[in-house]
Amino acid sequence: MTAIRPAVEADRLVKTYPGDVKAVDGISFSVAPGQAFGLLGPNGAGKSTTIGMLTTTVKPTSGRATLGGIDVARNPIATRSISSVVFQDAVVDRPLTGRQNLVSHLRLWGVEPAVGQARYEELSEAVGIAGLLKRPVSTYSGGERRRLEIVRALLSGPQVLFLDEPTVGLDTRVRHDLFDTIATIRQRTGVTIIMTTHYLDEAERLCDRLAIIDAGRIVACDSPQALLASIGDEVLDLRVSNPPEAVDALHRHGVDDHDIAVTGSTVTAPVHNVIAHRVTAYLAEQAVTVHSATTRRPTLDDVYLRLTGASIAGSDN
Amino acid sequence: MTTTITKTPTTPTWAPGSTRPSAVVPTLAVRRLALMIRSPRSVAIPLLGPLLFALIVAPALGNTLAAPGQHKSYMTFVALAAAGLLIPLNCLFAGLGVLADRQSGAMRELLVAPIRRGSIVLANLVAAVVVTAAQVTVLIVGAALRGAQFEAGWHLVWLVAAALALAVFVYGLAEVFATRIDNAEEYTALVPPIAIVPFFFAGTLYPLTSLPGWLAGIAKLLPLTHAVALFRYGLTGQGTQALHNIWGQSDTAQMAVLSLLVLVAYAAAALVLALRLFSKAGSS
Repeated sequence: MTAIRPAVEADRLVKTYPGDVKAVDGISFSVAPGQAFGLLGPNGAGKSTTIGMLTTTVKPTSGRATLGGIDVARNPIATRSISSVVFQDAVVDRPLTGRQNLVSHLRLWGVEPAVGQARYEELSEAVGIAGLLKRPVSTYSGGERRRLEIVRALLSGPQVLFLDEPTVGLDTRVRHDLFDTIATIRQRTGVTIIMTTHYLDEAERLCDRLAIIDAGRIVACDSPQALLASIGDEVLDLRVSNPPEAVDALHRHGVDDHDIAVTGSTVTAPVHNVIAHRVTAYLAEQAVTVHSATTRRPTLDDVYLRLTGASIAGSDN
Repeated sequence: MTTTITKTPTTPTWAPGSTRPSAVVPTLAVRRLALMIRSPRSVAIPLLGPLLFALIVAPALGNTLAAPGQHKSYMTFVALAAAGLLIPLNCLFAGLGVLADRQSGAMRELLVAPIRRGSIVLANLVAAVVVTAAQVTVLIVGAALRGAQFEAGWHLVWLVAAALALAVFVYGLAEVFATRIDNAEEYTALVPPIAIVPFFFAGTLYPLTSLPGWLAGIAKLLPLTHAVALFRYGLTGQGTQALHNIWGQSDTAQMAVLSLLVLVAYAAAALVLALRLFSKAGSS
């Protein structure tokens, strides 16, 4: 516990849309300056609505949020001045050049021209877009456009950077490049990052802490390592003909109901200090037909499965 | 759920700036103008129709319909009215830029900027007015070169004021529509009833007295009727009759003030509505 004021604090945030649709249902968390905090969950879990409330584009139904100690609802302009957002979709003036987009941002955020110029040159060089800035953004590739948006978001020297699904829609190589860019930028500027994603590898690699969101509520909030440790060292994936039968057998073997997840014909369970082949042998004794049994290291998707009974990837589909 | 902070904090090495409110509207207006320049068709197309009207149709009507020796006068009458077509057309088309911002996503960047949301509307208005002013100038110079007889003098201020108020009114409506409507097709369907139909009843091609009494009564409520009368008062000697047809008084200056007040009232109402709706839509 530290006495330093949190960079971001959400206190029982609720957003209810007409028709009593609760997109966010009492979310609370606190992020220290310089931390990278991830909101992890499938589409529709309430991640983007939470970001919307923190960035003043969505009005909370109830609850309170602060950025740098400033109340988001009471002083939206001040909170916007210390934050920037990289959106899920491309949010740029495509007919204008990269430079025009960046200059516009610098002016709107009131950055001194000399300071802005220095940041502009430093960041565009660091991110590898310096050579593109005279071209209209409409000629950029998806990855180049995303880089431009990240540079733009950092030009104002924000205390808090919101990344809303920053790598969605990009191919794997570009996604990894961009991911490195974000890590580099974070190291260079010390900015606090609030990131939403449903890419588990991103969340695990970049975030100091993660909140797993399901149906508008935080179901777990801890470091990725701690969340993974809650599953154990290994999980067992069993492809079976009759999943309910396998689940019953696992119960009888002493596996906690809470630990078992079923996705189609695959039954997944952590094997907590139990040798996996003993489990499969037991299932064979119980006449459960097992087509395949594999063990692997647990992932955040397993954590999510355990907490919510649904997989992030499955929910997206 | 309240969690504890587990990591030693670091301090950002860069400090944020602070936006000067006076710099916001010019910055946003320059952005909007830059977008318009990148799409010259959006500027040229609204100008084309009124320009053809002033340079081709007005002289033709003057030659065909006017009494002998009066064709220049009638041509001037109609050519100047073309500004009453141009301003609504251009300001309504300018609203398409707001729709494009919403559809391309660029609006979201503006909504998270540390600025008052109303300044986005005001900047778009400034850009629309700048482009409209340039277009009206082209129209008037073109008509003058074609033979229209204008009288430049201090009365020109009435034309400028009326054109500005009309532009603010129509652009205010354009922002309202752009805030409420999701697609360009539905938006452009509003152009004829807002920009074109009133043109035929606002004393543009013929005096209000030529209309049936009930229609003339309705026409007097149209902002365009007052604007066109003030255009004529500002740039020709024909304004007195146009104003008299609306107000039925003899004091021309007083009638001009009344017409301008009507226009300002329309403009203020549309702008306030646009600002309110836009600000409300920015935080759903």
